[in-house]
Amino acid sequence: MEKILKQTLKYPYWILLVILIISAVFFSKMIENSRMETDLDEYMPQDHPAFVYSDQAEEWFNIKDGIIVAVENKNNIYNEETLNIIIELTKTFQKLPQIEKADVTSLYTADNIIGTEDGMDVKAFYKKTPTSAEDLNELREKVKTNEMVFGRLVSEDETVSVIIAAINDNVFSQEFYEEILTIAKQAETENVKIYVAGRPIVEGTMALLGPADMKKMVPIVLLVIIAVLYLTLRNVQSTILTLLVVLFSTVWAFGLMALLNIPIYAVSTMIPVMLIAIGVADGIHLFSHLQLYINKNPEATKKEAVSDMLAKMWKPVVMTSVTTAVGFISLLTSQVYPIKYFGLFTAFGVMVAMVFSLILIPAGVMIFKLPKPKVKEEKGNDHHFAFKSTIKILKYKSVTIFATIIIVVVSIVGIGKVWINSSFLDKFERDSEIVLTDAFINEHFGGTSTVNLILDSKEKDAFKNPAVLKLVNKMQNDVVDSLHLVGNSFSLTDYINRMNKVMHADNEKFNNIPNDQNLIAQYLLLYEMSGDPENLWKVVDYNYNKLNVNFQLKSDNSKTINAAIAEIEKFQDDFKKLGIEMKYAGSGYKGLVFTDLILEGQIMSLVLSLIIVILLLGMMFKNIWIGVIGSVPIIITAIIGFGVMGWADIALNTTTALLSSIAIGIGIDYAVHFIEQYKINSQSGDKLLTAQKTMAHSGRAILFNAVVVIAGFMVLLFSVFPPNRELGALVSLNMFISFIGTITIMLILLNKTNIYFKNKKEK
Amino acid sequence: MKTLKISLILLAFFSLLNNSVFSQQLTGLKIIENVYNRAVGDDMTADLTMTLTNSSNENRVREIKQFSKDFGDLEKKIMFFVSPADVKNTSFMSWSYDEAGKDDDQWIYLPALKKTKRISSDSKSDYFMGSDFTYDDLGDRQPDQDVHKLLREEKLNGEDCYVVESIPKDKDYMYSKTITWIIKDKWIGLKKEFYDEDEELLKILKVNKYEDINGFWIITNTEMKNEQKDHKTIMILKNVKINTGINDDKFTERIMTRGI
Repeated sequence: MEKILKQTLKYPYWILLVILIISAVFFSKMIENSRMETDLDEYMPQDHPAFVYSDQAEEWFNIKDGIIVAVENKNNIYNEETLNIIIELTKTFQKLPQIEKADVTSLYTADNIIGTEDGMDVKAFYKKTPTSAEDLNELREKVKTNEMVFGRLVSEDETVSVIIAAINDNVFSQEFYEEILTIAKQAETENVKIYVAGRPIVEGTMALLGPADMKKMVPIVLLVIIAVLYLTLRNVQSTILTLLVVLFSTVWAFGLMALLNIPIYAVSTMIPVMLIAIGVADGIHLFSHLQLYINKNPEATKKEAVSDMLAKMWKPVVMTSVTTAVGFISLLTSQVYPIKYFGLFTAFGVMVAMVFSLILIPAGVMIFKLPKPKVKEEKGNDHHFAFKSTIKILKYKSVTIFATIIIVVVSIVGIGKVWINSSFLDKFERDSEIVLTDAFINEHFGGTSTVNLILDSKEKDAFKNPAVLKLVNKMQNDVVDSLHLVGNSFSLTDYINRMNKVMHADNEKFNNIPNDQNLIAQYLLLYEMSGDPENLWKVVDYNYNKLNVNFQLKSDNSKTINAAIAEIEKFQDDFKKLGIEMKYAGSGYKGLVFTDLILEGQIMSLVLSLIIVILLLGMMFKNIWIGVIGSVPIIITAIIGFGVMGWADIALNTTTALLSSIAIGIGIDYAVHFIEQYKINSQSGDKLLTAQKTMAHSGRAILFNAVVVIAGFMVLLFSVFPPNRELGALVSLNMFISFIGTITIMLILLNKTNIYFKNKKEK
Repeated sequence: MKTLKISLILLAFFSLLNNSVFSQQLTGLKIIENVYNRAVGDDMTADLTMTLTNSSNENRVREIKQFSKDFGDLEKKIMFFVSPADVKNTSFMSWSYDEAGKDDDQWIYLPALKKTKRISSDSKSDYFMGSDFTYDDLGDRQPDQDVHKLLREEKLNGEDCYVVESIPKDKDYMYSKTITWIIKDKWIGLKKEFYDEDEELLKILKVNKYEDINGFWIITNTEMKNEQKDHKTIMILKNVKINTGINDDKFTERIMTRGI
């Protein structure tokens, strides 16, 4: 290996050229072939039973995500201007290609089931806007007395009315999003304000805001990294070469993705984050070694210096990279494809970074010139500091161990507080427009988020059975009454209640489910004859053996959805007795399941990769205890990382869950370099000196590495997008803990266990 | 002399041209009028089976016994549900008037409620009993409500047909146009395409079977498919009897409550 590497030193220009050409090819592929996958459904494992069922149910009941447009008039909505705007907006949305005509619901399109002296009538609330005060008042009365509409399409204070436009699958785009906002803006007048909310809008805003913010922040992050890298390496070409390793490995990873036609998922944007954090390490360690060698041997030639660097460093570089890559490959166990790809391509990037570190950096040094030897005093100071702190660390080892145990215990308690959140809305600032709009609509209506409960019976006509419908009705009322975050619910029962009432001369006593199944069947037939049967198929299926119960929630966060589901599940036994199963559908629910899946996969792979790391390190150092000791910083980093999230109330989501991978990547780097150096230095036979020398060499490099990455990611703390801020904080935190863990607790463990000294002592 | 000749030829040409354009317009309307006026008897008794099929290929079958009678400018119809069992004996009666702009009178009797109720629906564009037929598709639309144009003549299912395009005079009508294939000299619409407000194909009506019953051409099997929703309705008439002399007082609220 060493020989091959030394051979490459002869052809530095060729190497540079070949790497540049391949990089250029990958780059052009990346430019021409990369596409961003924004459809969240594409992220979900299509064969998971929960998703399969939900997708089916979405088709049965035409469940789609809805854009909610609220029309507000502070006086009230019953005037020509406001009512006309509702008509105009309804018609405009109906004409959009992304929206089916029948999927727009508003006061203008809604059916009004009313009782007349001699029967029942299903009519529009208004077809042409009434002009006289009398007619306007009549409309107002109609709405007020229809509980299927009042509080659902018109707020109870009568100042807001909503239009709900369900959009087709896979049609959401930036243009469409902007079109909707423009339509809404243009319809606004002096008296009428228009608000746009709903899951597609939140998703859309996030899909735009996140990457846009990243685009702004990443150059600054890179600049800071370059600056700090220069400050630590004190050399322009070393800085450039280290940076090139990171850049090229990122380009190769994304280029290969493009070549294989794999789209870029939201989590794929974490690949550069990983490669920056991990990729700079090799460079720093190599240059750090080179610098120290030159300091010692100022007269050495280029070739001697580089040869020494390769001879001493190729092993740890290969070991760290292989172990890290294997750690990421363990993500292949995840059920979620974007995560699999994330693991696979990060692993590829890490391996590419390794090759570059071993070929590109030496070639670069051969082409350019060697770093200058540093002035003696500085070197002395450096050593002095490292030596002194080593003594201190070892002296106060019991304090360190004790402190570590306390921190770990506190963190484990914190882990108990960690909660998973699949909410999109929670990713925005509390005072951002989108959050305020959502709050405004939630204040006036049932809620902007939906959970669809699907009741599934094997028996045909099960949902014409009065006993079943009464239970459904009771469940709806109980859930809405017991949780204030559940605003209202809607299902077939609301139609039956309403029809039973109007067929009994609007007598409130009959606002319930009748006892006679035939009567229910006949009401439904009656509705089909006079109303729009399409509406029925949104709440019940063709053969009346599946029912869709809608619950409107005032928040899309996982706590709320879980609370609602827990309340609903209380009826599980009752429904089971009637032969009815409970299932769920809709994007809110799918998001919840999806986040659980990611987390489950992440924890699985974390455990798996830890085992792999321990075994690999054990094999590489031919001592299983080294494997165990080497994994200590990783474990500590992961535990404290999650613990801080618990205490700081940072919820786990697709991005934050992946950060534990950083713990592995970084932890391995630090541990391997440190242990390898420790092993080399242990030949002196002096335990303290070994520790001190290792600290001066590896400790120094690790510190540089940590400082560079922390400084870079701290920049994200100034991001306007909260998830990016969390990312910055957590990456920095992980780096910091890994660093501290390695130079304290791991050093102490190495020192205490007498590894590498046992045999010598016996001799 | 020469000019006279030319004038004569021109005259002949123009009159021919004029005539052909004129006759074509006349023919379009005439064809539809012939369909509208085709004799179907004064009364009819039949068993109607309505099969509704949704996009997942699930079926719902409804069996209905129906009676109808022509009272000149008024057609009365009464229907009794035979199955499914839970709506058995539910009956429906409609009186449709020829008079333009006059809405149908409709009643429904729900046996479980033991009450006859009048129902009214907003317009003729409502769907009939959850089927793909609107009330208007089922009733005969008066020819003068549309502008008709004979597009071409062609063979369909082995029958020589006129192909007529009809565009409603009322711009707010639910269809922007319909195209009908009409069997020559039988005056039966064999197929009809319905286009929605955006001029996109909405539904296709196909006549699968027509029979000569007592000397009248009666359509006994039709299929209406909503192409946009992938939902279809097949209506089959069996035991059709024409001109049996149904009593005028068969079409009353009292009869509705009595069941079959």
